Amino acid sequence: MADQTSSSGAIAKPKSTATDNSRWAQTVDHFKREWQLYVMLAPTIIWFIVFLYKPMYGLQIAFKDYSIFRGVAASPWVGFEHFETLFSNDQFIRAVMNTIKISALNLLFGFPAPIILALMFNEILHATYKKTAQTIVYLPHFISSVIISGIVITAFSPTAGIVNTVIGWFGFDPVYFLTQPEWFRPIFVGTGIWQEAGFGSIVFLAAIAGVNPSLYESAVVDGANRWQMMWKITIPSILPTILIMLIIRIGNIMEVSWELVILLYQPATYETADVVNTWVYRQGLQSGQYDLAAAAGLFNAVVAFVLVMTANSLSRRFSRTSLW
Amino acid sequence: MAGVELEGIVKAYGALQVVHGIDLNVAEKEFVVLVGPSGCGKSTTLRMIAGLEEITDGTLTIDGRMMNRVAPKDRDVAMVFQNYALYPHLNVADNMAFGLRIRKMPKDQIKSTIADVAEILGLTEYLERRPADLSGGQRQRVAMGRAIVRHPKVFLFDEPLSNLDAKLRTQMRAEIKRLHNRLGVTSVYVTHDQVEAMTLADRIVVMNDGAIEQVGTPMELFNNPANTFVAGFLGSPPMNQMRGTLTDTGAVIGDAEIALPGQINGHAGRDVIVGIRPEHVTLLPSEQSSALPIALDLVEPLGSEALLHARHGDTAMVFKAETHGSIDHLSGVDTVHVPAGLVKLFDAETGRALSLGA
Ligand SMILES: Nc1ncnc2c1ncn2[C@@H]1O[C@H](COP(=O)(O)OP(=O)(O)OP(=O)(O)O)[C@@H](O)[C@H]1O
Ligand SMILES: [Mg+2]
Repeated sequence: MADQTSSSGAIAKPKSTATDNSRWAQTVDHFKREWQLYVMLAPTIIWFIVFLYKPMYGLQIAFKDYSIFRGVAASPWVGFEHFETLFSNDQFIRAVMNTIKISALNLLFGFPAPIILALMFNEILHATYKKTAQTIVYLPHFISSVIISGIVITAFSPTAGIVNTVIGWFGFDPVYFLTQPEWFRPIFVGTGIWQEAGFGSIVFLAAIAGVNPSLYESAVVDGANRWQMMWKITIPSILPTILIMLIIRIGNIMEVSWELVILLYQPATYETADVVNTWVYRQGLQSGQYDLAAAAGLFNAVVAFVLVMTANSLSRRFSRTSLW
Repeated sequence: MAGVELEGIVKAYGALQVVHGIDLNVAEKEFVVLVGPSGCGKSTTLRMIAGLEEITDGTLTIDGRMMNRVAPKDRDVAMVFQNYALYPHLNVADNMAFGLRIRKMPKDQIKSTIADVAEILGLTEYLERRPADLSGGQRQRVAMGRAIVRHPKVFLFDEPLSNLDAKLRTQMRAEIKRLHNRLGVTSVYVTHDQVEAMTLADRIVVMNDGAIEQVGTPMELFNNPANTFVAGFLGSPPMNQMRGTLTDTGAVIGDAEIALPGQINGHAGRDVIVGIRPEHVTLLPSEQSSALPIALDLVEPLGSEALLHARHGDTAMVFKAETHGSIDHLSGVDTVHVPAGLVKLFDAETGRALSLGA
């Protein structure tokens, strides 16, 4: 942008006679010439303003004693009172811990899954088989979470579920998976992998497709086998993509896919399943404590912001790869 | 004897045959250059030698051993790719060490081998750099280094210089030649640049459309092209080719006759293609030369020489003339003189060289 302004400025100069308003004249000139670009840019900017920046105005209720009758502006300031309430609330602390634990499991198992899948797809030589397999693993991504949770609930049902049927074959008693806190996290993380690993592998497959084929040919002549090529060529070549995806993932650590949590959890499993966003949802929308919920949401956002900044700068320092 | 032998080598992709039975013997320590227009099957042939493409038919022998079904790694060949195929995530030393590590060479031996080769190639101070931080010529050298450290029986080059600018290409060309003289490894080199072929090769293989047109030393091919294709491929600018008809004493081109004493031997009336190298004509008549009237289109000075673009009748041709420091005397040229002994004749239909005198 700066470049454009200055270059158009250079052309505009001879036209403007008064020196004091020449800057304004340059800007007008620039808009006149480049207005199409701004028109194209406008929808995105409007979208950001309406859906991301305007709602930020409402964030101030995190620091106010908000009541819907008084409105955002007229509600009195209360400083950090809501944050003090939050951090003395055991349920909130538990939700934060649950969020971190689930995210950690997701990062540990859910993040590598699409990478491994992509590497495996890359080794399949039979074209039709490869395409079929890919389509099958992409499918769950396109199914709504409501149906996904329905499938999961059915599969783990103690009476008719396939899982308990199999357990029954070995002579064991049925397990009430979805009511037992210790099972929630494995089921949740597993469901997430089932739903998203296939679709997530597309990014990595694209990265693999971008690797120069003569690197492999050269390695073949040098005597490398497929395993060595995977470790010494493919993985290092897609490492920048992996790091970028990791940074994005880390930025989303506080954003456990909570629609799925809401669909799968129940009061019996709150102990391990309740995450910050579901807690916010219950406090805010169900109990009407909007100000407290806003404070929790803001806390979430600040943590995510710090995490993503840290991950980005670490990545830039150690691997020359970064989001910005 | 680490020679390479190709016998009736065929390559087909499904029903499409792209290499039609190639026979070629590359002797030990020989530097053979495959040259030909784009798409003629040079790379495919080279890649079959490397084992990167399956051989559809025929036999490939390296060092006396039949290689058709042998895995690339066991053929003991090293290949230099057009785009260098350097690993972007590894530095120069690790790039060169890649093949050695895979072959489980002891660490200290790897280190000394790389140090030696880096010394030869002038890469010693760049060993720690990544490919992205090297110039094109340096990358090219690393690619060569990676092949050299392996001490293979055969080097295969697929247009290794075509990504370099003209000056660097000349320089690297000489370097490759020196390296070959020093290492004496059997080499097969693919290029579409005839100058590269002429300067590097012990023997040149001219390919066209999946088949070999002629094999021979650079000067053999230059002096006695087997057909019009080879004649039109080698030399810069290449040989002029004009349609003509033989008479008892020479060849008629348009409305001029070129005397060819002692060459016709009863072939009068035959349609031929008359080949004249641009540098063989003179501006002044000499012994046994015939005058060829021309209409001059354009004079291109190159320095010590100039190219004269001209036509005779409908046939466009290019001649070379010495400038002696000025091109003024060339602008008025309307006749060139063709020395009888240097004229080549080809059959008008088959394009094959005719040796009527014999
Ligand atoms: N995988 C393939 N399937 C079908 N045809 C192919 C395939 N690979 C190459 N060919 C064809 O084989 C012919 C020879 O290709 P090759 O790459 O050997 O040409 P080349 O002589 O190296 O040309 P260049 O100078 O452009 O590199 C071409 O006509 C090409 O279209
Ligand atoms: Mg090629």
